[in-house]
Amino acid sequence: MKAAKATVSITRRLILTVLALEIIAAIALVGAITVHERHLQFTAFDASLRGTAESLMGAVQDAEDSGDNVMLDMRSVRLPKGSVFLVQEETGRVLGREGQLPNAVRDSASEKLEDRIDGRTYRFAILKGVRIIDPGNANKGTAHSIRVIYGMPTKRIWHEVLEAVRFFVVATLVLLSATALLLVWVIRRDLQPIHDLAHAAERITGADWNFTAPESATRTKELRPLAGALEAALSRLQQSFAQQKRFTADAAHELKTDVAIVKSSLQLLSMRMRTAEEYKAGLGRGLDDLTRLEKTVQKLLTLARLEQPDDGRSRDCSLRAALEEAMHQSKSYADLRLIHIDAIVEDDATVSLDREDAVLLCSNLLVNAIQHSTSESAVEITLVEESAIVRLSIRDHGEGISEADRQYLFDPFYRGDLSRSRKSGGTGLGLSICRAICHRIGGSIDIENHPAGGALVTVILPSHLQHGTTVFSNDVSA
Amino acid sequence: MRVLLIEDEQRLAENIATALREVGVAVDHAEDGEDGYQCGQQGVYDAIVLDLMLPGKSGQSILQDLRKRKIHTPVLILTALEGKDSIVQLLNNGADDYLSKPFDLGELLARIKALIRRAKGVSSPILTVLDVEIDTIQQTVFRDNQPIELSPTEYRILEYLAHRPRAIVSKREMLEHLYDFDWEHNSNVIEVHISNLRRKLNIIGTEPLIETLRHRGYRLREEAHR
Repeated sequence: MKAAKATVSITRRLILTVLALEIIAAIALVGAITVHERHLQFTAFDASLRGTAESLMGAVQDAEDSGDNVMLDMRSVRLPKGSVFLVQEETGRVLGREGQLPNAVRDSASEKLEDRIDGRTYRFAILKGVRIIDPGNANKGTAHSIRVIYGMPTKRIWHEVLEAVRFFVVATLVLLSATALLLVWVIRRDLQPIHDLAHAAERITGADWNFTAPESATRTKELRPLAGALEAALSRLQQSFAQQKRFTADAAHELKTDVAIVKSSLQLLSMRMRTAEEYKAGLGRGLDDLTRLEKTVQKLLTLARLEQPDDGRSRDCSLRAALEEAMHQSKSYADLRLIHIDAIVEDDATVSLDREDAVLLCSNLLVNAIQHSTSESAVEITLVEESAIVRLSIRDHGEGISEADRQYLFDPFYRGDLSRSRKSGGTGLGLSICRAICHRIGGSIDIENHPAGGALVTVILPSHLQHGTTVFSNDVSA
Repeated sequence: MRVLLIEDEQRLAENIATALREVGVAVDHAEDGEDGYQCGQQGVYDAIVLDLMLPGKSGQSILQDLRKRKIHTPVLILTALEGKDSIVQLLNNGADDYLSKPFDLGELLARIKALIRRAKGVSSPILTVLDVEIDTIQQTVFRDNQPIELSPTEYRILEYLAHRPRAIVSKREMLEHLYDFDWEHNSNVIEVHISNLRRKLNIIGTEPLIETLRHRGYRLREEAHR
């Protein structure tokens, strides 16, 4: 119900808007036509009133008597039905009349006016003229001032006006319906690219991410940004999906291999009866294999946790302390490989990491460096605080990295060459975990070859507190 | 029998090699693709166990290159990869069998043995030559229904000869197929074992089984002189 309420149809909106505008225009047009038609009709009406009044004036004749009197001779005058008139001399003598004229009209001085008779509206024409009887006489005839008032009901004009307007209204309605139908068809056709785009987008499934915007959509100026954005977003999604898939496959491969080792160790042991010593040694090996499986699982879980979005909890941890702890942890391994660890830690910085993650970052990098160092060489560590960032560099004196591998080294389970294969003891997750830790707080990690040989890992993290504060806390602890 | 194991995973390789050696199969182990290919292309192995994800050279390309060089050694693929497509592709590329990790060690051994048998034209695990019966699973030998006790090496020599009836097998070939790299190569060893084997098989009322062809090698007689 809610969804139906929220639905907005562009087609319906457009059609309704255009139709509303058309109707407003039609109403205005009909209004204008009405005014114009009324004006025309009234002008014609007034002309006919005047004409009839003139005829009445013409009908004033010399009365066939001895005096110079005048009379109204109605024989040559045809009057429309319902008309009223009054013809009278200045003296007040009424020469002829039809109907009862209102007094206001009779006394009016103007030439045109309207009034009501018996509830019907009449329009009047008032004509004044002079009639001269016997102008051939010596006294140049007798002049009679005549006043003609003629009126007709206006009902008929209104009827005419309404007739004309009705024709226009019907014509407009017919046109409106025709354009509405046309509009629906045109809008439907013009919105087709949207449907095409939706149809193309509908075909995307988890298995098939291929999306090419239909040509109709890319040709439409308004749709091009949407089609482009869809294509770009899908390609990004596809990439990250493929990455996830690869990660899952790699993780499965890794876990299966570890399980295969454990399983084969135990099955080998149970192939035949063995001595107690053999069982003991075999179980010990099996346990080691199991520990490796456990480590892989643990690292996978760590990576999964680090790749989750941050919970926003504020954390504080001294990078210097974390580094020192990592150095302490890996000391025995370094001693075993006769590697000297050379740390130049001038500054300290507080980074917004959990302490265990900071230690994990440092120890992963340190162990990695020790692993790839040639025997009896040194691993050099520097920790420098610059404005608002802290830079941790770890350099080993090993073989360095190959340029081809460089961009993949932080990918989970990446094993570029022999030296980085499982033989070296790593799970291929250490650097991925380091990258996840750095990215989590907006830092970066990069690996390159040192100009003088060996690999150089540089970690840049945003630091938390001011330099001075850190020095102060160091002074206190010292 | 001698098997080449190409597997980069140290512990897994150790386990497979130990298990194969315990059932009397000589094993050479290559840790990376390049090494594995170099060994495999010598064509001295009775079977190759090949991992797919290898450093150096992938299992796929090792398989392809071996088949291109007409090396027809049976190949069993060990894979931790999912998906029917890759398996179909592997079999089409000339793989003879596959097992996905984690596998059953016993099953792996049985499949390797079956591959070797089939490659030598034998389908039953029990080999019969004249009145001698060799059970390749139990690794027991009977002659005229009497059990014969053999040392592991003697058994391997007999089994290898039985797999190639009528063929002349040189001492060199025997050395190659019965011992892995770690063994001291000395052809005298073979002579000593052959002579012991002859003695043990020589039951009263039976004919000699192993023929010696001077400077050429040994052969199992298949037709009786009856």
